[in-house]
Amino acid sequence: MFRRGCRGLVLLSIPEAFKGGKLIFDKLREIQRKHGYLAADPLQALSKQLNVPLYQINGVAEFYPEFHLAPPAKFHIEVCRDMVCHLRGADRLTADLRQRFMPMGKRVVDVHERSCLGQCDAAPALTINEAVFRDATSEQTEILVRASMAGLDAPPHVPAHLPVELKADPYVNTEKYGALRELVKTRDWEGVISSLKEAALGGMGGAGFPTSIKWDVVKKTPGDPKYIVCNADESEPGTIKDRFIMTHAPHLVVEGVIIGALVTGARTGYIYLRHEYREQEAILREELEYCRKEKLLGDGILGTELSFHLEMFISPGGYICGEGSAQLEAIEGKRAEPRNRPPNSATHGLWMKPTVLNNVETFANVPQILTRGVQWYRSQGHHEAASGLKFVGISGDIQRPGVYEIPMGLPLSEVVYGLAGGPPDGRKVKAFAPSGAASGYQPASKLDTRLDFKSMAAAGTMLGSGAIVILDETRCILDMALNTVTFFRNESCGKCVPCRMGSAKMADMLAGWTRGKGQESDFELIADLSETMKQTSICGLGQFVPYPILTALQNFREEIEAHVLHRKCPAGVCPMRGDEVTR
Amino acid sequence: MTQIELTIDGKAVTVDEGTSVFDAARLHGIPVPVLCHQQNERPIGVCRVCSVDCGERVLQASCVRPAENGMKVETNSDKVKKARRMLIELLMSDHPSPCARQRQSGDCELEMLAAAEGITAPRFAKRISPRGQDNSSLVISVDHEACILCDRCIRGCDEVRHNDVLGRRGKGYNAGIAFDLSQPMGKSSCVSCGECMVSCPTGALTNKSVIQTVLPNGTPVRADELKQLPFFRNVSGTFLDLNGNAVIKRHFKAGDIMCREGEYGSTAFYILEGKVQIFLATPMAHVTTGGGVSGFIQKLTSRLTGSAEKPGTHHSRPTSIQIDAPVDLEYNNPVAELGPGDLFGEMTCMNLYPRSATVRASTDCVMLEMLRNVLDVIQRNKTMRAELELNYRRRALDDHLRTVPLFAGLSREFVESLATKVELVRLSKGDVICRQGEIADAFYLVRIGFVKVTEERTGGDLVLAYLGKGGYFGEIGLLTTRGLRTATVTALDHVELVRIDGKEFHEMLELVPSIKRDLMAVAREREEQNKRHMGAVNAITLDSFLSQGLMESNSLLLIDLDKCTRCDNCVRACADAHDGVTRLIREGLRFDNYLVATSCRQCRDPLCMVGCPVGSIRRRNSLEIVIEDWCVGCGLCARNCPYGNINMHPFEAMVKDLPQGQKAVVSYKATSCDLCSEHAEPSCVYACPHDAAHRVDPNEFFKNYSGAKITELS
Repeated sequence: MFRRGCRGLVLLSIPEAFKGGKLIFDKLREIQRKHGYLAADPLQALSKQLNVPLYQINGVAEFYPEFHLAPPAKFHIEVCRDMVCHLRGADRLTADLRQRFMPMGKRVVDVHERSCLGQCDAAPALTINEAVFRDATSEQTEILVRASMAGLDAPPHVPAHLPVELKADPYVNTEKYGALRELVKTRDWEGVISSLKEAALGGMGGAGFPTSIKWDVVKKTPGDPKYIVCNADESEPGTIKDRFIMTHAPHLVVEGVIIGALVTGARTGYIYLRHEYREQEAILREELEYCRKEKLLGDGILGTELSFHLEMFISPGGYICGEGSAQLEAIEGKRAEPRNRPPNSATHGLWMKPTVLNNVETFANVPQILTRGVQWYRSQGHHEAASGLKFVGISGDIQRPGVYEIPMGLPLSEVVYGLAGGPPDGRKVKAFAPSGAASGYQPASKLDTRLDFKSMAAAGTMLGSGAIVILDETRCILDMALNTVTFFRNESCGKCVPCRMGSAKMADMLAGWTRGKGQESDFELIADLSETMKQTSICGLGQFVPYPILTALQNFREEIEAHVLHRKCPAGVCPMRGDEVTR
Repeated sequence: MTQIELTIDGKAVTVDEGTSVFDAARLHGIPVPVLCHQQNERPIGVCRVCSVDCGERVLQASCVRPAENGMKVETNSDKVKKARRMLIELLMSDHPSPCARQRQSGDCELEMLAAAEGITAPRFAKRISPRGQDNSSLVISVDHEACILCDRCIRGCDEVRHNDVLGRRGKGYNAGIAFDLSQPMGKSSCVSCGECMVSCPTGALTNKSVIQTVLPNGTPVRADELKQLPFFRNVSGTFLDLNGNAVIKRHFKAGDIMCREGEYGSTAFYILEGKVQIFLATPMAHVTTGGGVSGFIQKLTSRLTGSAEKPGTHHSRPTSIQIDAPVDLEYNNPVAELGPGDLFGEMTCMNLYPRSATVRASTDCVMLEMLRNVLDVIQRNKTMRAELELNYRRRALDDHLRTVPLFAGLSREFVESLATKVELVRLSKGDVICRQGEIADAFYLVRIGFVKVTEERTGGDLVLAYLGKGGYFGEIGLLTTRGLRTATVTALDHVELVRIDGKEFHEMLELVPSIKRDLMAVAREREEQNKRHMGAVNAITLDSFLSQGLMESNSLLLIDLDKCTRCDNCVRACADAHDGVTRLIREGLRFDNYLVATSCRQCRDPLCMVGCPVGSIRRRNSLEIVIEDWCVGCGLCARNCPYGNINMHPFEAMVKDLPQGQKAVVSYKATSCDLCSEHAEPSCVYACPHDAAHRVDPNEFFKNYSGAKITELS
């Protein structure tokens, strides 16, 4: 009793061989490459080899979408179904592809839906055997598949990007990594933190948390080793700016990470990249190779005693991996289930050691501030309260979707109409999501709001990750709310009850509304459910599930009521038939 | 430990730093409902039902939230209640109510919470895609529909039992529990220990009622009846159901003896009606006698009892105490009386040592007798555990001080006052109690287990002695002027010591100068003996005696290698006596010219019994360890036995396999030497034609063996 029988509270020690997802995920990928899927026998062998219980291997294999547990078809097609792709006809595309390929049989071609691919500027997007194709059509997809069956070479995926000159790049005319070289000379670590503080650099992943505080905590927290992680797992529908930054300014990201490591004392770092970003993976790997060659990375940085190792960590997939603590769990090789907080990752991060975790864009800002000075950085903002430049992605019902580099604080309308040309065919903006799925839907009347953390918050919304999705007047707000809540349901890790159960029940209820199966009492129920999800979910995902429908109810109440109380879809989008097959 | 102060529901409370809000509330009588948190498992905060308001942006799951200084916690505000109700409603919306657990024992934790909240018809639509059932296991039936993903079974399997079979599968709304590579339970590496089932709050994992515990001499008590008693309130109905006859009702007449001091046992008694009296029979019923220090103690005690300096002696007591035989000391003076709601016999279950007192019914009594595993499960509740622990400590100190020969001459009052000042110290194998050269600050009496006394010397440590029950140490450092420890004392196994602080010790010696005088004599004797030891080569033998764990054994099968012809008759005899499967392997470590055969050693501190989920490995009333028929074959005892003396034996079992009737499957049961208790002598010993095989108590047998004096110094 009081003795040997009770060892239940001792945390399982992790076998040395299992230190890290890199090992386990790479092993699983190896098996998948060889067998086409994760067959039971090699998994049994892997369990013995790594001395890891089968249930742990099974837990991660079933958790991450990259892994197949059954033999996939020869051509495994997955169409993005979220938000922008939904707006651009992903449903029709999926149905059409299924019809086209049906005669070939499911063993040859199978068509599935999947979550956002981060190609919202060229929606709809799909993958064929994990290779991404943008602006996809069913004709073109069929041609690709048939060509490949005929033995022709697979066509290149994602067209190459043209070089772009960025205002944010301080090294247009000078040698890259100037800030780092200077810092290694001066070793003014404190100076970096105070510069970031003066520059008011906030987390560009969406939270806007002051970077200086985060770095300072990690620097001051005793612990060895310390880690640094660059969150490049951009998976929120509408969010495409990190892909752009990694494509056009990989050196700023890498330099930011190295500086962060030197300042905080981290000796190992990871760039956590979603596996669908193969092109960016190649670019970043090349950049890391360059740094190693130039002695900017590794042991003995620039001939000093400083050392820092930075590696790519390719995510096996899932929106939840973008959540900080879930990302750390993934790097540790576990199911990406967010941790309970406190403690926070700054003090108890990767392997429970002090860990810096910042977004791609946050890191990319650091060299700018250090080379050009705080004054320059602050003056880049559109007005006093906003500093620096911001990358925003804009997509949906818009003429020129893409990523724009704007002064922080620029009014939304200037981005929407000025830069991106407004909705096509002279249609009007009905609503917009300022930060993809999580931000919910705001009415066109709020387009005057300035794009900075404070102004957006004051307007009752958020800047978030700078992922503007435009809906024109033909769209149904309930249809979009359902689409986004369904996205969250699909991406919930399932760890806690409010998110796992709440997102499913909420999606069911909204789907019912679109089929004319609502009732007045649903409004109270959804309000109660939303409050519970916001109050009790472990992480941001669960807490943000209700926002699409809450903002829709707040800003477009009449339209929702038309569905629920009068069984009518004013935009004529929803099926409004009770006999519709469930989604 | 740092104390922190916080307010819970307006009540100011103080707890140790690091305590969770849940525990802080619990310790102060504020219950917080919860589903995913079992007190014997690591909290993970996934059901969120225990969410409370700590005045932060969002509610906090109290089971994982550390309490903080100045925190103001609301466990029952409208906000908290609303959230809790919604979470239960969400879970109920997919719950197949009434689930198997609710039908079997009426205590599905989710359904009970829902009933308390008045949730009858959840407002959400039920899940459409079925999650299915899994009936492949012989003993456990799995209903994924009733699973709420609290992960209690997972932590039970992987962290409590270390069987590493259960995990989470899938993701999000499609997540579930899985065995190995999402195999059916019956096809997985599951050993059917039942921990998952016992941990499950709902009917997701329930008992198929294949295994039936059989405790004799009573009538079984149904799970729902037991759940009415506060003592069993926190025990899972599935567990009680699984262990059908592990709790039985027994009737005793006034004067009946329920358990005897010195007997082995594996059950505890809970008094429903009537009263019992506790007697302590003998001081040191197990003391070894003979020369050396033991003999000295004999002299010492007689002198003590005859001493005139007993303060305040007013009741009759024997004038001398013989240690050679159990003597009825105060046999007619019970030391305590217990009544309805009290528990006794639990100490044996907790420490696996023989009964430390005799219990006699003083009126007609109705008792619940329960196996050790029931007690184990009850103690998963921290409140119950703390209560039992407190009781245990009180009784252990009381019992022990009254039975130590050293104190036999002390008055009852003095012993009682001493009991309040001493401390019961528990140590695990390898723990160091005191180190050579440290300042001596206490005197220790060994209550349970063995300690090793070593002295550091150039070229390694020299083992001076080992001490078992009744032994004491620490007096040299306290009595000699140097005030330093002269040797290092290390626990050899699970050890319980009674610690008497230096100050109390000296006070005691002031009051009873004769003890002081005699202890001084012991100290001198020991020092001399230690000096003799230093020159002796046999210390190495003692060291290997201890490192082979031979002192633990009550009965060792030794084969005299000088006589043994390797004819293997012993092994054959064992097989013949046990359905053709031998429980003896004629291999093992050597000690001197003896082979210590691989066969149960009948340990004093049997590790094999720890954690048996169904309480089937036990001692009835005597020394031999038996494995009852209700063994589920989980293999825990075989893994726990440090000597490899328990084997898992496959056999063919017939199981119901509807609708085809019965089918044969391979099942396992643990087997171990039972000393052939039905016969006069173990078959192996009887069969040996060369008189080479012997069953002996090694402590006795090797005591004066070939000059290598291996003896307890007590």
